Amino acid sequence: MRAPCVIVLLVLGCMVVAAAALSLGPAGWRAPWALDDVLLELRAPRVLLAAIVGASLALAGAVMQTLLHNDLADPYLLGVSGGASAGAVASLALWPALPPGPAAALGAAGAVTAVRSVARGPHDPTRLVLAGVAVGSLLAGATGLVLVLAPADRLLRSATYWLFGGLGTPHWPALILPLVLLLSVAAWMRVRAERLDRLALGQDVAASLGVDVVRLRREALAASVALTAAAVAVGGLVGFVGLIAPHAARRSVGDGHRRFVLVAALAGATLVMAADAIARVAFAPREVPVGLVTAALGGPFFLWQLERGAR
Amino acid sequence: MTVVLEAVHVAVGRAEKIVLSDVNLAVERGERIALVGANGCGKTTLLRAFGGLDEVLGGTVRWQGGLPRGPARVRTLGMLFQAELPSRFDVRELVTLGLGLDAPPAASARCQVENALGWADLAHLADRSCALLSGGEAQRTLLARALVANPKLLLLDEPTNHLDPRRQAVLLGRLDRLRGSVAVVLATHDLALAAACDRVALLHAGRVAAAGTPADVLTPANLATAMGVRIRRLDDPDGGPPFLRVMPARDGERAA
Repeated sequence: MRAPCVIVLLVLGCMVVAAAALSLGPAGWRAPWALDDVLLELRAPRVLLAAIVGASLALAGAVMQTLLHNDLADPYLLGVSGGASAGAVASLALWPALPPGPAAALGAAGAVTAVRSVARGPHDPTRLVLAGVAVGSLLAGATGLVLVLAPADRLLRSATYWLFGGLGTPHWPALILPLVLLLSVAAWMRVRAERLDRLALGQDVAASLGVDVVRLRREALAASVALTAAAVAVGGLVGFVGLIAPHAARRSVGDGHRRFVLVAALAGATLVMAADAIARVAFAPREVPVGLVTAALGGPFFLWQLERGAR
Repeated sequence: MTVVLEAVHVAVGRAEKIVLSDVNLAVERGERIALVGANGCGKTTLLRAFGGLDEVLGGTVRWQGGLPRGPARVRTLGMLFQAELPSRFDVRELVTLGLGLDAPPAASARCQVENALGWADLAHLADRSCALLSGGEAQRTLLARALVANPKLLLLDEPTNHLDPRRQAVLLGRLDRLRGSVAVVLATHDLALAAACDRVALLHAGRVAAAGTPADVLTPANLATAMGVRIRRLDDPDGGPPFLRVMPARDGERAA
């Protein structure tokens, strides 16, 4: 399908899903144009946060896939999920009254710094991935140990909710930082699209075509990690989005970053908004972590993509 | 003649281990040079050093006017790699990427891309995704990308890979048309292609074992020693490059 058609369809889909997500909730159906407190103070910031988290993870995944030359890379690959989990669980255990997001973001950034150091810089994709898997496994093991040994059941419950992704009840000011980061990285990707296109062909090819590969890889790693850390800080570990949104975008409109980045961001935003709406209403009045729903929606979709690609 | 690239006592290798040393080679404008040798003799490593992708471990590589870094590089140097990651760009997009980051204004860029697509007989495949190309079509796309910016020097690693005999002959003809304007250094196992070059450097045992015209270098004795092959040379009555029939060398010949 041509890129403009895909973009138009996705924009329409995104608007329909946003309207449905605004209308649905444990407090019952509300028309999206009924501007009451429930809609403006509870549902609207949550829906917008879902869109920001989805788009952020999609863009972070897109950059990571280009950086590692691997369509199956996701934003959590370089130890980010292990670091974020360790940070969040440490925060929940030590300061239960505070939200775990900032500690999770710090943990993610710390883990990637460790991975970068073990891999001796961002230049060798294989070393980066191996170091990421090693550091991530160590941190995930440490997190599991704390959860098993911790005496409080409440810690286990809140940590589990966070580890599978939970958007909570955000206030408007909490959206500012992730939104600014999302727009900044999107602008960076737009400016660097030509270089990222060449980097997607491999480091040697990019260098032979005049790209300053060392600098671009540094920028790409920083952009992806910052975006992921911000998304994790406000939404926990929402899985699958950073893998399938850019993957599906590449399959539908090709590798050109100028096009596929927009498609990936729209797909990620739509997916998390839809998943969050389902998470809020499927088992109402109880709410399930949004990451469970993205996995339930994303898994079959990914299999369908693979099946379609195999044919 | 203008020397576009000169290697002086160059040593190259991988992971600090020297593969090839004391390489002295001057590439003049418009001439075609083949690097020939058995697997692992250092052809690709030498091409990478010529392309400025790897530091040399000894000696110096000099480019005419210095090798420009950044966007202008593609107008000096075009490279074809032996293996490249698969991509989902369409053919025209992939060729356009060869124009570099400061691509000329849109109209002339389009003209250059269409010329390169025509050069590689790809006009009818221009909108096809690279993921759907055959090996030969993909190779022609990469060749078109290497020369779309009209570089002064082309470094081609196994340019005839995946090409059927007709396409190989066509490529040879097209490279002939570049003779005099674009210098070409190519690494190849295809002795017929090497025989059609102006000069050949035969790499063996970590050094340039022989260099000179194809007639001087591609001799049965040299090829038996360096590549372990026996050749029978059949001259083209029409004056074209000679046909070379290649067979494994006998033990005695290899030792010689």
